[in-house]
Amino acid sequence: MSEIISQAALRQLVDAWLGQGRRAVGPAQVKPGLLLYAPLRAAEELLLEGYVRPANSIKEAVFPRHEKLYGFRFHGKQIELVDAEAPTQQQLVIGARPCDAAALPILDHVFNWDYKDEHYNRRRELTTVVTLACREHDRHCFCTSVGSAPDDPRGSDAMLYDLGDGTLEVRTMSEKGRALFAGRTESSAKVGQAECHGLSECHGLSPCHTGPEPRLDMAAVAAFLAGGFEDPHWAAWSARCMGCGACAFTCPTCHCFDMVDEGGASGGAKVRNWDACQYTMFTMHASGHNPRAVQGQRQRQRIYHKFRTYPEKFGTPLCTGCGNCTRNCPVRLGVLPVLQDIESHAKNKPITVRTL
Amino acid sequence: MTSIYQPDLMEVVEVRQQTADVKSVRLRFRDEARAEDFHFRVGQFGMFSVLGCGESTFNICSSSNWKDFIEFCFRRTGKVTDALWSIDKNDTVGFRGPYGNAYPMDKWAGKNLIFIGGGIAMPPIRCAIWYALENRQDFGQITIVYGARKVGDMVFRNELERWAGYERVRVVSCVDPGGETPDWKGEIGFVPTVVERAEIPADNAVALVIGPPVMIKFTLPVLAKMGLTDRDIYTSLENRMKCGVGKCGRCNCGPLYVCKEGPVFTLEQLKQLPNDY
Repeated sequence: MSEIISQAALRQLVDAWLGQGRRAVGPAQVKPGLLLYAPLRAAEELLLEGYVRPANSIKEAVFPRHEKLYGFRFHGKQIELVDAEAPTQQQLVIGARPCDAAALPILDHVFNWDYKDEHYNRRRELTTVVTLACREHDRHCFCTSVGSAPDDPRGSDAMLYDLGDGTLEVRTMSEKGRALFAGRTESSAKVGQAECHGLSECHGLSPCHTGPEPRLDMAAVAAFLAGGFEDPHWAAWSARCMGCGACAFTCPTCHCFDMVDEGGASGGAKVRNWDACQYTMFTMHASGHNPRAVQGQRQRQRIYHKFRTYPEKFGTPLCTGCGNCTRNCPVRLGVLPVLQDIESHAKNKPITVRTL
Repeated sequence: MTSIYQPDLMEVVEVRQQTADVKSVRLRFRDEARAEDFHFRVGQFGMFSVLGCGESTFNICSSSNWKDFIEFCFRRTGKVTDALWSIDKNDTVGFRGPYGNAYPMDKWAGKNLIFIGGGIAMPPIRCAIWYALENRQDFGQITIVYGARKVGDMVFRNELERWAGYERVRVVSCVDPGGETPDWKGEIGFVPTVVERAEIPADNAVALVIGPPVMIKFTLPVLAKMGLTDRDIYTSLENRMKCGVGKCGRCNCGPLYVCKEGPVFTLEQLKQLPNDY
């Protein structure tokens, strides 16, 4: 037996949530050709099928791209500090991809090792995440190579499985998820058939459109990274990178930020903005010395951080295999093509910087 | 809501101009209770801010035994240090910290200490020097080698003589050839050469070496020749930081975050790190 909900009832649930002055975020066509996780004005904006994934990630819900950390006011020579307002609005992230939700427990480590970031933690507590298990992937997806899956439960309060007949199976994973769906589902004999650990072997799901999901030999990648810091290929792997940072901004797990003062003569605020390790200025010292002065060093940093530095500290890759870095890259770089080349290189196969 | 990024407000107690472009600043917490419970260990750093302008990372260059104020030292280089340049007594500066690890002064007890600093790198050594002098009985012979490009570039110059006045302390100061003034009484030469000919007692010794990369590079072989192992040689790294608390993602040197797992490293640790600094 399972619990199911009709698409109509799901939309009613979202509208009821919004009706109480709460925030809801979900995949929405914000303009022709652009699907983003965006604040929903009404449940009808929510798009639940016909795409692989939105172009951004849900991290914005817990880690806004621009956020006030504290304020200050000037009274002559006196300075007064103003505490940041604690977020209070509950929010529902609905229709998130599992590769987005899985990023949240990964980010939890960053914002809580030793020093606890209340800006992040408060938003995280106020957020309920309902994911939609994947039925399709594209050539940029590689979740199954990095310990994730089309129905990765990490970070989800509830997961929906499209049953293909206008209904969805609901599986709740937390108190928040159970509270959200309480009284809104009905029992059914239909059981979601998304128990699938790789779309290449998907059982009973809609056929994959582009063949099997790309698979990486992460053991070979790890072996390379153990000694590949000075490898001359980093230059080649970054040669066409323009340093735009689209990979980092649309990545569910990238979390680097800058902190700057904004304001004027009467006061202002310290704000944090998203930053990206692909930018020249990211590590530039005041002296002009830059430990990562060329793009190859910056590309190397991104790959090492995701697949060696973070895993050594917290046990999982800083990546859920969503493929957004490549999908949004103007020159089709990103994690997957670089790792594919690293794998070839590690196995002594000829490498070319792959074009996807 | 409390924020780990929110600074404490500190009153500027004193500003001293050290060189043409370096100043040191003494600060006191505006909040008495905070001043009471504030503790740090020498070698740690803080994030110092001119509110409305920005925040920068500096070592706390006062001794952790000093309770009336903390001190930092900066060179006028960029936006924040430009704003710091014009602060004056009674002004307010923001401070977050202390952050990072510290010099293992306990571990250094009973050993001969060799401090080697170049140019603006003296402040992060100075805190350890004062700490050692204030706990003089805990340490063996103390040798301080301080080099600068020219006499006018030396910071805390007036303190060199005071240090030399302590028992079992030898201060060797040097300037690069051509950097001397007619009344210069110190050595003339580059730090590595000066260290080599200074005949510093190196048995049971640890060295703290901070300075420009080129100085460090050529000083290390000299120390090795003197018999110091990679475990006996310490340095303090600087990398650009924003948060200071291991989140903003830029100061890492390979797997280690300089803000949390540094800034103090032994040469042994450093040799295991990739060249990312």
